[in-house]
Amino acid sequence: MTWQLFVFMLINGLCQGMLLFIIASGLSLVFGVLRVINFAHGSLYMIGAFLAYSLSTLLSGESLLGFLILLLVIPPAIAIIGFVLEVTLFRRVYREEHLLQLLLTYALVLILDDSVRVIWGGDPRSVTRPDLLAGSVDVMGMALPSYNVFILVIGPLIAFGMWFLLYRTRTGNVIRAAVSFPDTLGALGVNVSWVMTSTFMLGCWLAGLGGVLTAALSNIDLGIGMEKIIECFAVVVIGGLGSVGGALLGSLIIGTGLTFFQLPFGRWALVFPYALMALVLVIRPWGLFGKPER
Amino acid sequence: MDHMTSSSRTQWISGITLIVILFVLPVFLNEFGRTGEYWIWVSTEMIIMALFAMSLNLILGFGGMVSFGHAAFFGVGAYTVALLTKKADLPLFLALAAAPFTAAITAAIVGWFCVRLLGLYFAILTLAFGQLLYMIVFQWYTFTGGDDGILGIPRPEILGPTNFYWFCLVLFLICFFVMKMIVSSSFGLSIKTIRENMERAKFIGINVRRYQLLNFIIAGAFAGLAGGMLAELNRFAQPDFLHWSKSAEPILASLVGGMYSLAGPAIGSTVLIFLKIFLQQIHPSMVELWAIVLGAAILVVVLFAPSGLVGLYQNIYKKFQS
Repeated sequence: MTWQLFVFMLINGLCQGMLLFIIASGLSLVFGVLRVINFAHGSLYMIGAFLAYSLSTLLSGESLLGFLILLLVIPPAIAIIGFVLEVTLFRRVYREEHLLQLLLTYALVLILDDSVRVIWGGDPRSVTRPDLLAGSVDVMGMALPSYNVFILVIGPLIAFGMWFLLYRTRTGNVIRAAVSFPDTLGALGVNVSWVMTSTFMLGCWLAGLGGVLTAALSNIDLGIGMEKIIECFAVVVIGGLGSVGGALLGSLIIGTGLTFFQLPFGRWALVFPYALMALVLVIRPWGLFGKPER
Repeated sequence: MDHMTSSSRTQWISGITLIVILFVLPVFLNEFGRTGEYWIWVSTEMIIMALFAMSLNLILGFGGMVSFGHAAFFGVGAYTVALLTKKADLPLFLALAAAPFTAAITAAIVGWFCVRLLGLYFAILTLAFGQLLYMIVFQWYTFTGGDDGILGIPRPEILGPTNFYWFCLVLFLICFFVMKMIVSSSFGLSIKTIRENMERAKFIGINVRRYQLLNFIIAGAFAGLAGGMLAELNRFAQPDFLHWSKSAEPILASLVGGMYSLAGPAIGSTVLIFLKIFLQQIHPSMVELWAIVLGAAILVVVLFAPSGLVGLYQNIYKKFQS
């Protein structure tokens, strides 16, 4: 392997990882605060991708403005769907056993995924990239797709934004307190159920953002929700349930791992996330960055 | 048998009546030509999926362990039958007998790791192992046929649709009574004790992990048999048999039927399959909406009747008695 190929693959892998991080961090954040593993996270991501496709056919897709509108409109729309789901359904099962929570979110997967099929049909779709991001950038004599570079820029920005929000603002303090001591937080006069709703909306916003970014990166079809949610599980488990930093590490490991293993192992590389996930669960169930359950 | 109470006598009578009806059913259906043959096929599938759902419920309802990887053992059983009959030219009966064993061995390996974890982590690890096996089957073209699966599993001459139905019914009944013996044995009681209070079970000297592992293996073996039967019914095996969404089916069946009884999951599974076919019969395009209907039904059960149909029935029964 020449060093150029190595750099090329590394950048591709990191790009995949960053995209995965944007989606998986939402799942992890929601689990941290709500203690619910949301199977429907992948479905919300898929809805974001298909909404982006529909909106892009209305706007002139190639203009940068059109793409910016997608980025500004779709994620909040998904967050609003999340708001409705949290207030009407999720709220009612927080005190129930894990099985009922999992089944509730699985029922949502069935409903949402089938709705996408009824509305958009089974054909693969994609969003045209804006002109500015459609070409390629010259890096050390290699032509890298500028869209991948764009994702490589957005990913760390989101990671930084989440770090700033969680560790440098009062909102973040409240969210982190809700993870560790929800009862005490309530006793201090904070409206915990509002914290849960807004965290859930933030998680959905991230799923929607991931959806928009995916729609312009590759073809989207009905399988992407189910496929992505399992990858997100792997990421979140490897990094540690509820840890956003862990989600970043997990995403980058999975993203680069998948890219590099493809060279010697071909399609067998797809086994890698599950194998690593099982390995981490066996050796260190709480993940690389997580803490053992209270 | 003077110790038998009247309610258990009614249970016996209704049980035997049901069995007789199930045995006579295909004779009646055969009167309807092609449609009847179709319904015999559907009924056979119902019996097989009921066995699958009951096998999961040994760990889910009785053991209190949520597994999202149970389809892996179902799939291993299916591929055992497919590979042994097609590639090794073994007779069906031997291949079917082998299915629970290969499934049990797989379950022993997977379970050995899984029972070390509790609750949600157990669920996720079973999911990870299930998907791992799914991916292996999906990719291993030379051995499992990859995503094409294995088609054209041979069927012995004597096993026409009706005979195969009876064959599956007999196997199901045997499994049912074996499971009934298991859950009412001291082993079954220990498993329920672990579900109710693990700490206490440890204090009274139950080796929790060993019991859970054994239960996991037994459940896997029954799932493997069900998988083998389904492979023979469809005459193909495909990677989807191992996919995690297949693992969700018996969970949903247990939820709908009620997971704290032996027959609940079987009833739930039958009701769900019947609903699906019923929807399809109203209008073929309605099957597009099946997942939405199923999802909505699950939501209703989760929010309003978490103990399932059997629980609902018991509540109504109690109200009538008082």
